[in-house]
Amino acid sequence: MKLKLAYTRFNVTKPVLSQAILKTGVAINILEAKIGASYGEMVVDANADGRDLAKLISFLEAEGLTIVQLGEALEIDLRKCISCGACVSPCPTGAIMQLPSWEIEFDDTKCIRCGTCVGACPVRAIRLTT
Amino acid sequence: MSTRGEETLRTYEEVNRKIVSGDAVVMTADEFVELVRAGGIEAAAKEVDVVTTGTFGAMCSSGAFLNIGHTEPPIRLNECFLNDVPCYTGLAAVDIFVGATAMSRTRGIEYGGGHVIEDLVAGREVELKAEGRGTDCYPRRYLETTISLEEINQAVLLNPRNAYERYNGATNSSDRLLHTYMGTLLPKLGNITYSGSGQLSPLYKDRGFETLGIGTRIFLAGAAGYIVGEGTQHHPQKQLGTLMVRGDLKEMDPLYLKGASIQDYGPSLYVGLGVPLPIINLRVAKTAATPDEEIKTEIKDYGIASSARPSLRTVTYAELKSGRVNLNGRDVPASPMSSHKHAKEIAEELKGRIKKGRFLLSRPAELLPIERPLKLLRTKNSHTVGDIMIANFATAGPRCDISRAATLIVQSGIDHLPIVDEGGRLIGIVTSWDIAKAVATGKQHLRSIMTTSVVSFSKEDSVDEAANRLLTNHISGAPVVDRENKVVGLITIEDLTKLYGRRGAR
Repeated sequence: MKLKLAYTRFNVTKPVLSQAILKTGVAINILEAKIGASYGEMVVDANADGRDLAKLISFLEAEGLTIVQLGEALEIDLRKCISCGACVSPCPTGAIMQLPSWEIEFDDTKCIRCGTCVGACPVRAIRLTT
Repeated sequence: MSTRGEETLRTYEEVNRKIVSGDAVVMTADEFVELVRAGGIEAAAKEVDVVTTGTFGAMCSSGAFLNIGHTEPPIRLNECFLNDVPCYTGLAAVDIFVGATAMSRTRGIEYGGGHVIEDLVAGREVELKAEGRGTDCYPRRYLETTISLEEINQAVLLNPRNAYERYNGATNSSDRLLHTYMGTLLPKLGNITYSGSGQLSPLYKDRGFETLGIGTRIFLAGAAGYIVGEGTQHHPQKQLGTLMVRGDLKEMDPLYLKGASIQDYGPSLYVGLGVPLPIINLRVAKTAATPDEEIKTEIKDYGIASSARPSLRTVTYAELKSGRVNLNGRDVPASPMSSHKHAKEIAEELKGRIKKGRFLLSRPAELLPIERPLKLLRTKNSHTVGDIMIANFATAGPRCDISRAATLIVQSGIDHLPIVDEGGRLIGIVTSWDIAKAVATGKQHLRSIMTTSVVSFSKEDSVDEAANRLLTNHISGAPVVDRENKVVGLITIEDLTKLYGRRGAR
C-alpha cells in the first residue's frame, strides 16, 4: 500500500519512519521525499495490509504525521483522453509520456500514485482507484 | 508596392474550380513545410493550391447563442440555468448565451458552460430552469424543462477569441505548486506547459493575414464556420493575432468540442478549428512554410502574479515539442495544454474535405487588421504614490556636515534624507546606515557618502509599481520628484504596509 506522509515542523526532525519500522516490523520503501526545515512530505510503499497496515498508520498518526492512503492503481480512460499533454510534464516521476503520435503512454512502474495528473487532466480522464 | 491579399499566383475562383473538378493540390501545413524544405519555396508555391492548418486547445472565450423557442404561456427569461450553469439573459425573451467558463451552481468548476455545449452537441438532453418577472406580454414566471439541440430554434457557436497565433509557455519559479489556466506548474521551474500548434497554427501560417478576414470559411468543430472578424485582444504586432468565429452548433461534431475543467481555475471549452490557406501569393506561401524551428515564443514565469509576468527565455515550438527545454542550465520537461494529435487530425480532415470537393474557399470581405493596440485597464481604486507619500520631510545640501544630517534624520523620524541642490533638485540620498558608516570611517560631509544613483518615483506612479521597485532594488524608501526633478515627497515601505493594512481591514 502506498502512503503519503506529511510532516510538520514538530516532527520533521524526528526519526519517525525508522522507529515505525522497528516498532511495527513493516518493511517500508521510500519512493519520494521532500524534507524542509519546517515541513516534509514523503511517498512510501508499505509492505503491509489489514492489521499490520492499521498498526503502522496509527503509530505514524500518533507521532503527528498526516497520512493519506494512495490509490492502488492509476487509470487513464483513453476514450475520454484528448491527448493534450496537460498531465505529462507535471508528473514528478515521468510516468506519463507522449508518443510521437502525441498519444499518451503510461508507465505503471514509475507511478507513485501522487494524483498530480488526476487534477491536471482537463477532461477528467484519469482516476486513482482504491 | 504590393497589396495585401493580392492574388498573383491564383485567384479564389481558380482554386474553387480546381476543388470542384477534384484537381486541387492540397497539403497540410506539416506536409507543406517538408515540401518547401526539400524543393524550395518557388516550386512549392506554384504546385500547391491550398495549405490546411489546425488547432485544438482550451479556448475560454467561447460560447453559444441559443434561441430556445417560446412557451405557452410565454416567458421573458430573467434568470436561466442549463444543467445548473447560469446563462446570460440580457437579450430578447428566449435568447440566451451560454459562456464556456460559466460555472455550475452545484458542481463548481467540475461542470461549466463548455460542458453544456459539449452535451448539447453530443445529442444529450440538458435541463433548463428559468425564472421570468411576469409582465403583461410575458406572464409566465417559472419554467422547468429539458432541451436538446434538435428541438431548439437556433444554436450558434460564437467565440469572441479563438486560435491565438501563438501563445507563451508557462513555468513557475516560486516554491509553491501552482494551478493556472496553463495547467499544473510544479515549483522551482519543475515543468513547462505551452499552448498552440506551432507550424500548424492557423494564424501564424498566414502572418500577414492576407487570406484571413470577415467571411473566411473555416473548419469549426466539424462544421463549416466563418471568421467574423478580429478576435478580442487581437494584437498582431506581437504575433498575438486572434479570431472571432461563428458556426452552426447543430452541424458540429462532439469530437471537436470538449468541456474542460482546469484545476483550481475554472471550466473551459476545447475547440477544434482549422483554416484553409489558399496560396494566393508568394508571401502567403512563405509564411505557410515556416517550420517549428522558426516559430518563437516566450516562457513566462507564472510564479509572479502580475499581468507583466517576466519572460525567462525565448524558445521555439520545435524545442517545446521535443518535450525538454533548457532553463537556467537544467533540462526541464515540457508538455502541451492543447492537443497536437487533434490539431493534426483537423488539418488532415480539412484537407480531405477540400480534395473531395466538399469544402470551398471564400474570399474575405475585409482582411483582419495587422495593427491593433493592446491596452491595460485603468482602475479606479488603485492608489498612486502621490496618495500615500510623506509631504513633510527634511532635505539637506551636499555640503551639510554629518552631525547636522544625523539631527535631521532623528527630528524627521524618517530614515531617508534626500540631498538637493540650491534649486531643490534631487542629487543624492543618505540613510542612517550611511551616517553610521561616515562616523566609523571619519568622513565629514554628505557629498562623500551620499548615494547618487537614486531610485525615485513620480506622484503618478502606482503603489504596486513602487512596491515592486523598492523590493527589487532592496531599498526601504525613495524620494518622489516632479518633472524638474525637485523633491516633493518621500515614500517608504512602511507607508505601503499601512496601505495594505487598510485594504485588509475593509
